[in-house]
Amino acid sequence: MASDPAVIARGEWHPANSSHATPSVLRAENGRLVAEGEGTVLAMAVPERVEISPRVGSIPRRLTFPDGSVLETRDNDAIDAYLRTQRGARSGFVHRLEQFHPRLIAITIAVIVLAASIYRFALPALVEVAILVTPPFVPEMIGSGTLASLDKTVLKPTELPEAERQAISEGFEKLAAHSEGGKQAYTLNFRDGGVIGPNALALPDGNLILTDDLVKLAAGDREMILGVLGHEIAHVEGEHSLRQLYRVAGVAALVMLIAGDVGSGVEDILTQGGALVALSYSRSAEAEADRRSVEFMNAAGYDPAALARFFALLEEKLGDHGDTSMLSSHPGTPQRQQDIRKYSQELKSRSGAR
Amino acid sequence: MEFQAKPPVEAGKFERASFTGNASEYFGIWIVNVLLTIITLGIYSAWAKVRRKRYFNGNTVILGRAFEYHATGKQIFIGRVIVFAFLIVVNLLTAINPLFSAVTTVLILVALPWLIMRGLRFNARVTSYRNVRFDFVGSAGGAFVAIMLGSIVAFISLGILAPLASRWSWRYVFNNLRYGDRAFSTDPSLGSLYRVWILPALMFLFGAFVSTAIIISIAVASGALSGGDGVSSEETIGRFAFAAFPAVVLAFLLYGLAGLFYRAGVRNVAWSAAKLDGRHELLSDLSRWRFAWIAISNVIVTIFTLGLMRPWAAVRLARYVNEHTGIRIHGDPGQVMSSIEATGAAISAEYMDMEGFDFGF
Repeated sequence: MASDPAVIARGEWHPANSSHATPSVLRAENGRLVAEGEGTVLAMAVPERVEISPRVGSIPRRLTFPDGSVLETRDNDAIDAYLRTQRGARSGFVHRLEQFHPRLIAITIAVIVLAASIYRFALPALVEVAILVTPPFVPEMIGSGTLASLDKTVLKPTELPEAERQAISEGFEKLAAHSEGGKQAYTLNFRDGGVIGPNALALPDGNLILTDDLVKLAAGDREMILGVLGHEIAHVEGEHSLRQLYRVAGVAALVMLIAGDVGSGVEDILTQGGALVALSYSRSAEAEADRRSVEFMNAAGYDPAALARFFALLEEKLGDHGDTSMLSSHPGTPQRQQDIRKYSQELKSRSGAR
Repeated sequence: MEFQAKPPVEAGKFERASFTGNASEYFGIWIVNVLLTIITLGIYSAWAKVRRKRYFNGNTVILGRAFEYHATGKQIFIGRVIVFAFLIVVNLLTAINPLFSAVTTVLILVALPWLIMRGLRFNARVTSYRNVRFDFVGSAGGAFVAIMLGSIVAFISLGILAPLASRWSWRYVFNNLRYGDRAFSTDPSLGSLYRVWILPALMFLFGAFVSTAIIISIAVASGALSGGDGVSSEETIGRFAFAAFPAVVLAFLLYGLAGLFYRAGVRNVAWSAAKLDGRHELLSDLSRWRFAWIAISNVIVTIFTLGLMRPWAAVRLARYVNEHTGIRIHGDPGQVMSSIEATGAAISAEYMDMEGFDFGF
C-alpha cells in the first residue's frame, strides 16, 4: 500500500445504516479525508468531522463520516500513524499503556499495592461510614427475623428450671447495666439448642440466645455462663455482626466494581460464599468481645476471668490445643485464655491500687 | 485478516464464529482498566466497561466480520449515577421513615421487568454487525412473564418445571431480537429441553441425597454417643461440624456442576432451534463436560492468582463458546448479508438511552 503515498489505509465502506460493503481505500487529499472505492469517491469530509473509534487491541477501526457512512479497517497501525501526524503524541494514550510491554509489570505492581491498601485502609473506613448511616431499624429487622426463623427451624422451648433461669437472668442484667446501651438494650432468651448444642448467640438487635446445653455444660458454674454472656453482649455493643456483614458486602462490591467482569463463577462465590463468611466474627472482634467480657464481669463484681474457664472446658472437651492458625477466624483457645487471665489481672491490680 | 479474503461458503454448511483476541493483549486492557478505575475512585469503570465490551465484540468474528459495541462511557456513567442517586434517596427516605423501605421495595419489584427489558434493549441497540445494529422489541409485560414468573415457577416446582421457564425466557429473548430489518425466532421444544434437564436433575438429587445421608448418619452417631453419659455433645458436635464440611463442599460442587451442565444444554437447544429471518439457522454445540471444565478451572485459576489470570480465563471461555456457535446461511452469504438494512428506533446513533439493568445478554 506504500505505492501511493496519499493512501492511509484500506478497508471496506458501508453506506449509512446498510450492511452493503464496498472495498475501499482511505486517502488524505487537500486536507480532507476521502473514502474511495472502485475509482469513485464514496465519502469525503474534513478530518475534524470524521469520527474515528479509539483503538482497543487489534479490533477493526471505524471511521464515521458526517453522512453516516462508515469505513471499517483492520489497518490499526496505519490509522494510529495518521492520527499522530494530526493530533500529536497524545492520541491513543490508553492504548499505549495497554500494550504488552515491560511497563505492564509496573502497572501490575501498582494495582496490587493499591488493591492491598484499599483492603487495609479504605474498606474499614467505608464500613464505619456504613455503620454510621445505618438506621436503627435495620439491626432490629435482622435480629427479629433471625430469631423467628431460628425458632421455627432448630430451636425449641427451654427445659431449664425456673429458678435457674431467674438466677442467670439476674446476673445477666447486672452485666448489661455496665454496657453502653444499659440493661434495657438486651433481652436474654433461653432455648433448647437442638443441633447447635452448647452455644450462645448474639443478634444485632440485642436479643441473646442461651442454649440449655451450655447451662448443663457449665455444671453449676454460673459465673462461667455469665462470662460467656458478657462476651455476647460485647458483640452486640460493638455491632460486630453488622460490621462483618458490611465488610463482606464491601469486598464483593469493590471486587466487582474494580475488576469489572469477574466471571459468573467468581461472582457466585463472592455473593454466596460471602454470605457464609458474614455469619462469623472476625478475629479482632472476638478478642474485643473477650476483653469487654472481662470488664463487665469485673464491674459487676464477678470473677473477671470466668470466660477463660469456659475456654478451658471447651479445650478439654474438644481437644482444641491449636495455636492461632491463619485459616481459622478464631484465635486458638489457649491464646485467648491467656489473654483473658492477663487482662483480668491488670484490671484487678488497677482497681486494687485505687 | 483482510476483509476481501472472504472464506468461500458452501451452501448448507454451518459457518462457525471465532474469537480472534488473545490473553496477553487483553491482559494489558484489563490491568489498565483496573488501575484507572482505582485511581479515579471508580468513575473510570464505565469507560473500562466500554473498552472491555469493544474488545470482546470486536474479536467475535463470523463470516469474516467482527461485531462492534457502540455504547459510550458517558452513557453508561450517567446510567450508573442515576441508579446510585436513586439508592441514596431511598436510603435517606428509609432513615426518615422505615415505611418507605416497603414502598420502594414494591416499586423496585414493579419496575424490575421494565428494567430487564431496557437492559436487553440497550445491549441489543449498542451492538452492531456489518454496520447494522441489533434491536430488541420485547415488552415489560413479556419480561415479567418470561423472566420473573418463569423463575418463580421453576423455584416453586423445585426445578421440575425449569425447562418450561427456560423455554419462556429464551423465546422472549430471541423472538424479540432484531438484526436490522430481520427478525430472530426460536421455539425450543419442551421435549429437547427436558432431555438436557435429566442429567443435571439427577446430579442435583444425588448431591442432596449424599449430603443428607452423611449429615443424618453423623447426627445419629453423635446422638448415640452423647445419649449415654448425659454430659454434653460438645465433642461430637465438633466432630459433626468437621465431618459435615466435606458433605457441604461436595453438594456445593455438584450443584455448581449441575447448573453449568443445564446452562450449556439449554443454550444448545435454544440456539439450535433459532433462525434469522425465518430461514438462516443458528447452531450451538457446546460439549457440556468441556464447558463445565472450562468454567470451573477458570474460577480456580482466577482465585489462586488473586484475579491476575482473569483475562486469560475470560478469553479462554469466549473462544470456546464462539467456536461452538454458528449460522447456516441459505443462499449466498455475501448477498444475503449485504441486503440487510437498519430500521426503526435503533437507526439513530445519537439517541440517548439508559443502560438500565445489565442482564448479561
